[in-house]
Amino acid sequence: MAATVAGCGLGAGPAPGGVQLTVTRDFGARVLGRASAPKVQGAETVMSLLLRNDKVITKYGGGFVESIEGLSGGQETGGDPLDWFYYVNGLEAPKGAAATNVHAGDHVWWDLHDWSQTDDIPAVVGSFPEPFLNGVEGKRLPVRVECAQAQSEPCRTVLARLRALGVPAAVAGIGSGAEPDALQVVVGSWTAVHGDPSVQSIERGPRASGVYARFAASGQTLTLFDASGQATDTLSAGAGLIAATKDVESAVVWVVTGTDEAGVARAARALDTSALRDRFALAVTATGAQLPVPGASG
Amino acid sequence: MRNTGLLFYRRLASPLHATRAGVGAVWALALTAAALILYNPLSLGALALAVLGAGVGAGVGRQLAGTLRTALIVGLPIVAINVLASREGLTVFARLGDLGPFGQGNLTVEAVVYGAVIALKVTLLMLITTLASLAVDPDELLRSFRRLSFRSALTASLATRMIPVLGADARRLAEAQRTRPEDPSRGVRGRVALLSAIVGGSLERAMEVAATLELRGFAVAAEGKHRPWRSRSRRSSSRLSRLRRSPSEVRVKRPWSRHDLAFTCSALTVIALALAGRMTGAASFAAYPLLKMQIDGGTWMLCAALIAAMLLPFIDRRGIDR
Repeated sequence: MAATVAGCGLGAGPAPGGVQLTVTRDFGARVLGRASAPKVQGAETVMSLLLRNDKVITKYGGGFVESIEGLSGGQETGGDPLDWFYYVNGLEAPKGAAATNVHAGDHVWWDLHDWSQTDDIPAVVGSFPEPFLNGVEGKRLPVRVECAQAQSEPCRTVLARLRALGVPAAVAGIGSGAEPDALQVVVGSWTAVHGDPSVQSIERGPRASGVYARFAASGQTLTLFDASGQATDTLSAGAGLIAATKDVESAVVWVVTGTDEAGVARAARALDTSALRDRFALAVTATGAQLPVPGASG
Repeated sequence: MRNTGLLFYRRLASPLHATRAGVGAVWALALTAAALILYNPLSLGALALAVLGAGVGAGVGRQLAGTLRTALIVGLPIVAINVLASREGLTVFARLGDLGPFGQGNLTVEAVVYGAVIALKVTLLMLITTLASLAVDPDELLRSFRRLSFRSALTASLATRMIPVLGADARRLAEAQRTRPEDPSRGVRGRVALLSAIVGGSLERAMEVAATLELRGFAVAAEGKHRPWRSRSRRSSSRLSRLRRSPSEVRVKRPWSRHDLAFTCSALTVIALALAGRMTGAASFAAYPLLKMQIDGGTWMLCAALIAAMLLPFIDRRGIDR
């Protein structure tokens, strides 16, 4: 009620500053447009921000996006469904674009992708340092880094990266319990972290977690999938993964993990704006190569 | 006769009334098409102005003014609903906050303008329909469809003739109801009683009309048309058909009058102008996401041409019965 009243008034309302707008396709593989200072005029919704800055065709009275820059949803040549999805600060919004307000510092990301495996990807890593820096719906949330070993190099690297960006983060042990109003970063090898209920969905594959990668039960291998759910690569020793997910009870959970300690260390070092930009998730091989997840078909 | 509030055709001394019904109907259809083709508010306004002018020229301006008042009542909710429902505009003038499933209640200038354009289109359609129903002879129009489907034309003709009769019935019954001491005409019960009496009366009238038609041999003629022995009875059937018609109804090939030609030209010109306006961009208009409306010399010329094309046939009043 208070939020509703707060949003009322005459005129366009105060304009949010520091907003970014990115438009990509195929899970961020191709950038169609990127505006670090998009046109903003008064209080904007995600939809109005997009309409103001791109050529957009909408349907249902402006509630849904039909096409952006001439690219519309529908079906791919293979028959897989294709549609536009949006993320604010790396989180899938629970409401329509016309119902979601843009707040100061928000990173709005539209992506046209195949949703044959899942139409529910609750969180992505490609807006880093969001959501840690500006939070969710204009509200900055506390950040808790849960490490398998608090003094390990990967844990210290992750903390240092976050703090360098101005994100105050607390450290806790694995399995400290999910908090609905906190952002969690879980750091450790998959064998050490897979018991945490908030990351267990990753073991069940893309349909359950929205992450197109899956660890084997032993935690020794990491299989990467493409958009249609086909395995594209299987990484073993020294492989790492940075992914984000969200279950019903918890807030967003990022996981910096690997098949072993070396893989976790590689993943922690990849926690960087340029490495994560426009990625839904990121895998790192034993040679240090960074692979976008989901991977390219074929 | 007291005005029943219903709009029905009466022969008046005007060029549109003097035009054959088919041409009048085509002219009205051309105006309807133009109203649907055009979106530019200026050209729609010109069209509305011209329709009102045509109403004055046809001697039915007062009735059109009544329709205009009704259209305003219809138009305001259209604008209000569009403002509340549309999320495509970008120029926010008021914010109602989060409306739950309806999204953020950001009211935009574009939604107001688009709603007004739709309301203007609805107004135009109502005005054109009123003008056509007042100035185009429905019997003559239906007669032209007789060859295609005799029964349908007859049914439609009878139905249109029954509307004023039922209106008069309703008025008479309501007056009779009011004469009763407790005045039962007020309230829902009184209205339901009146409605049921009118419906009952209409069924009774329908039976009377059916009996009359049967007596006049309409059923025989209609059946004979489709039967294989038609050739044998053609002579008697055509004699019966001729007998059935009054002398004024006997079909005589009527030459095209100057009014027929003028209104045909007007209809073609209006359609051509509307299409040209859309194709050349002289009447271009986009409400969303930001208002884009063409207003230049071409737009003004289009508006002037539309008004002239619609009103010029009303200037020639020679040969009109008074």
